[in-house]
Amino acid sequence: MKKKNIIQVILHLFLVGALIVVVLPMVYMVSTSLKPNGALYEYPPRFLPGFDEITIENYLYVLGQGKFYINFFNSIFVAVCTVLLAALIASALGYVIARFAFPGKNFLFSFIVLTMIIPGLTLIIPQYQLAVKLKTINSLAGLIPFYTAWTIPYSTFMIKGFVENIPRELDEATYMDGGSVLTVFGRIIIPLAKPGIASVSIFNFLTAWEEFPWANTVINDNIKRTIPIAISGFFGQHQFTQWGYVFALSVFSLLPILAVFIFCQKFFVAGLTSGSVKG
Amino acid sequence: MKKGKKVLAVLLTTATCLAALAGCGNSAPVQTENDSESQETTNVTDQVMSNTDTSAPDPSDGEEKEVTIDFWHHYSAQSAENDTLMNVLIPQFEEENPGIKVNAVSHEWGDLHEKILISAQSDTLPDVGRLDSAWIPEFEKMGILVALDEEMPDYSDTAAGLLDSAMSTASIGGHSYGLALNTNSKILFYNVQALNDAGIDVPKTMDEFAAAVKALSGTNENGQQVWGYNEPALAGWNLCPFIWSMGGAITNEDETKASGYINSPETIEAIQTLADLYAEETITGWNSGDIPMTDGFGTGRYMMLLEGPWKIAEMEGAYPEFEYATAPIPAGKSGSISVLGGEDISMFNSANKDAAWKFMKFMTSPFAQEEMAKCGQIPVNKEALESDTVKEADFAPFVDAITTAKSRPTTACWSEMDSELSVAVTAVMNGEKTAKEAMDELAVKFDGMLAE
Amino acid sequence: MQTSRKGKFQIGLLLLPGLLIFGIFTVYPIIKLFVMSFFEWDFGSISGQKFIGLENYKEVIQDSYFRTAFINSIVYTFVTVPGQMILGFLTAFLIHQVTRFKVGYRVLYYLPVITSWVIASLVFKYVFNTEGLLNCFLVNVIHVTAKNIRWLDTRWSGLWISMFLGIWKGIGWNMVVFLAALQTVPTDLYEAAAIDGANALEKLFHVTLPCIKGTILFALVMLTIGGFNVFTSIKMITGGEPGHKTDVVLTWMYYKAFSTGAFGYAAALSFIITVVLAALALVQFRMMRQKS
Repeated sequence: MKKKNIIQVILHLFLVGALIVVVLPMVYMVSTSLKPNGALYEYPPRFLPGFDEITIENYLYVLGQGKFYINFFNSIFVAVCTVLLAALIASALGYVIARFAFPGKNFLFSFIVLTMIIPGLTLIIPQYQLAVKLKTINSLAGLIPFYTAWTIPYSTFMIKGFVENIPRELDEATYMDGGSVLTVFGRIIIPLAKPGIASVSIFNFLTAWEEFPWANTVINDNIKRTIPIAISGFFGQHQFTQWGYVFALSVFSLLPILAVFIFCQKFFVAGLTSGSVKG
Repeated sequence: MKKGKKVLAVLLTTATCLAALAGCGNSAPVQTENDSESQETTNVTDQVMSNTDTSAPDPSDGEEKEVTIDFWHHYSAQSAENDTLMNVLIPQFEEENPGIKVNAVSHEWGDLHEKILISAQSDTLPDVGRLDSAWIPEFEKMGILVALDEEMPDYSDTAAGLLDSAMSTASIGGHSYGLALNTNSKILFYNVQALNDAGIDVPKTMDEFAAAVKALSGTNENGQQVWGYNEPALAGWNLCPFIWSMGGAITNEDETKASGYINSPETIEAIQTLADLYAEETITGWNSGDIPMTDGFGTGRYMMLLEGPWKIAEMEGAYPEFEYATAPIPAGKSGSISVLGGEDISMFNSANKDAAWKFMKFMTSPFAQEEMAKCGQIPVNKEALESDTVKEADFAPFVDAITTAKSRPTTACWSEMDSELSVAVTAVMNGEKTAKEAMDELAVKFDGMLAE
Repeated sequence: MQTSRKGKFQIGLLLLPGLLIFGIFTVYPIIKLFVMSFFEWDFGSISGQKFIGLENYKEVIQDSYFRTAFINSIVYTFVTVPGQMILGFLTAFLIHQVTRFKVGYRVLYYLPVITSWVIASLVFKYVFNTEGLLNCFLVNVIHVTAKNIRWLDTRWSGLWISMFLGIWKGIGWNMVVFLAALQTVPTDLYEAAAIDGANALEKLFHVTLPCIKGTILFALVMLTIGGFNVFTSIKMITGGEPGHKTDVVLTWMYYKAFSTGAFGYAAALSFIITVVLAALALVQFRMMRQKS
């Protein structure tokens, strides 16, 4: 018993030590956001601000003058729509592919898996021209179908794995009761695959929330920018960067994703188990 | 069964929404940057709403004939210029011109160039742009700028009020593709205290400059490294004052040939001088990890700079107590030749021409030019130049520099040449190539680009 | 099971939105990209593109900037993929053994994953600035170097910062994936190994790793794709400087496409990368199969 305790302590020491290294950059970000803006090129640079110089002026600036709540709203709107659409579409695809035989099914599934290999950004040129044709350049809502399309392959792949774990007997029983394909989808598949759908949805939310190159390319107006574009807009302006504002805004933008993650974190492991074992 | 129907309904709604998203994404409503905050929120909501509305209405069909013009510029988002634009100029313009709203968008200098190229591909160009005058030939060649003298009946009246020398930057083949908006040039800024402490005079020649750079470098009382001179990039804007003053050139007069100019002994010497100073760690600034220019100058880490008039307002804001002074660019064997900068305000050919032209005239009017002069933009409006604001602003050293300054090559391929130039000079600085090797290679590339 | 006509209709209905979105926004662009790669397609030539066969491909392969970027991408992938997997696995292995605070560790180690690339890149850029916190620490606190190190200013050190960021950000994902896999290893296998007198290391190599082979392959393929996908961190940290020496394939592609307008060139480049990645994935599958 004693030996076991010692091993536990050593394990915790290792984990905590590594953890400190991992979270250090985040702590530095928060501490910088609490320093007065002028002190950022001080000498020598300090990891933490002095106790008496802690200030929330950067946060007040970002909240007030900066009007960044619009960018915030934009990001949430885009991310939520993407998540809902992708969840619906991918679970429908995953369900049909897992359960039914139809012509071209194998081809379709292989193709979906294959597109996971293509780096998303390589398609940016034809997708840009497509966006031009669809007149979705400089439109917030125009981001959504593209994000949805990007997330579908991975989501379908994962959800299909989940559906395959749901016993077919449940489907049969529903058909016996006179249920249809859609009834099974709504009553059996969606409720039982919920953990899988939830776990891919967290990923999809993150994807849409933090996406940078595409939004940076197609969005022009300030009030249509998403959060990552707004943050990078602070940066590299002229010959001095206001790091205090940058990091205050960054801390804000972490909050929603942190909330989503902590709220759903039990689904994470569940989702990944299924997918990885099947994969 | 009930549930099945529900799912079906959801699916159908989704499909309709998708169609709507694709169909009317572009029909964003009228919006302005400087509206009251509450209105902006409404606008965003409207926009979202309009996207779920399948029968995308044409925005111009509204009862009120309100026009919004998009104005893209590269005043930094956090600068005094941008504050003046958003809080003084645009409100004033909108009051004078009811029914016209201005949606101003700030991009970083390099991003603005990229954004315009991209938008030209997709017919999403803004109405009006504040363009670096070095870009005008390139955009004219792409055919996206409006020839103002042909389209605007009162063009000559407006142009007559602006400086001819500045207006010439927008003129190609006898047509005018923009109104001059502001002009500038770079001069030497130096840290007064540091020069006094080192007991050296303000450098007047390039030799004295190199000596001063070396003398001012070293470490300060905190043990930190200090540099005699800062150059924030290695593009034409940065290198030309050295190349020209020391007798070199980028191309011949006609801008048809670079061999024998960009690789002339004088040009090579200019590049080599900078490379030697860098090797001795007495100049820096263009590397990704370097201290930004304003911060480095204001905190006494960079002792000298070549910079434009906006630096005065910037230092005032960021380091008000810092003591610095200015002087002409050190003279080489061809004299003291600075680089001519400046912006033009141009109209893109997809613009709402009436409204855009009104805004352009407003931005070049004495009122707007005087307001911008307060934050370091040298006016080009003759009347504004006579005003007290401008006389108090003390633009004299810059105006003197402008009289001898030269402009960068005015060919359509300048942007491409410019980026090749900085790649080549970066290689020299890092010791991968000698100045001669790099410039010889560059000459061949430039000749090819100029021939196209 | 016989599917009724109504059932077939409903299956079609379920497939339709997915096929539409996938077809319009993914399949069509792939085909378009392939076609574009054989044409001279520039800013100037919006309507009149010229078929030039394999010229674009030739230009890409002969371009020394592309070769630099390609090597950078390969190095990035070959460093960050094993780096993330090993550290992620070790973390998962330790967390799997502890009896308390499992959830707490999981959440905290996952923080870098949910930090967006833009933010993480800015933080790293700030820390590794020549005048930044790290240099101050190295010079003034532990005195390992007398001069500030120019982390961001040379090809390999600049890339190294991005790779370090990639590993830092990826540990959490690997940790979660491997933690899930470790829970599926049957405990009786460990007991059997213990009876055979296996020590901890032997248990790891003979029991644990073979059991989670599927997961290892999954992570390997996903991360390799991720390695070639790197874009934002390079763009924000070094921007390809000095002189395009730290560009990776995607930042170079983006530069060529949107700063110079060489769409045909960029399309050919994209296709080359896709083929390379598909080949890599195939090799990885083969390798894992052979081992069993």
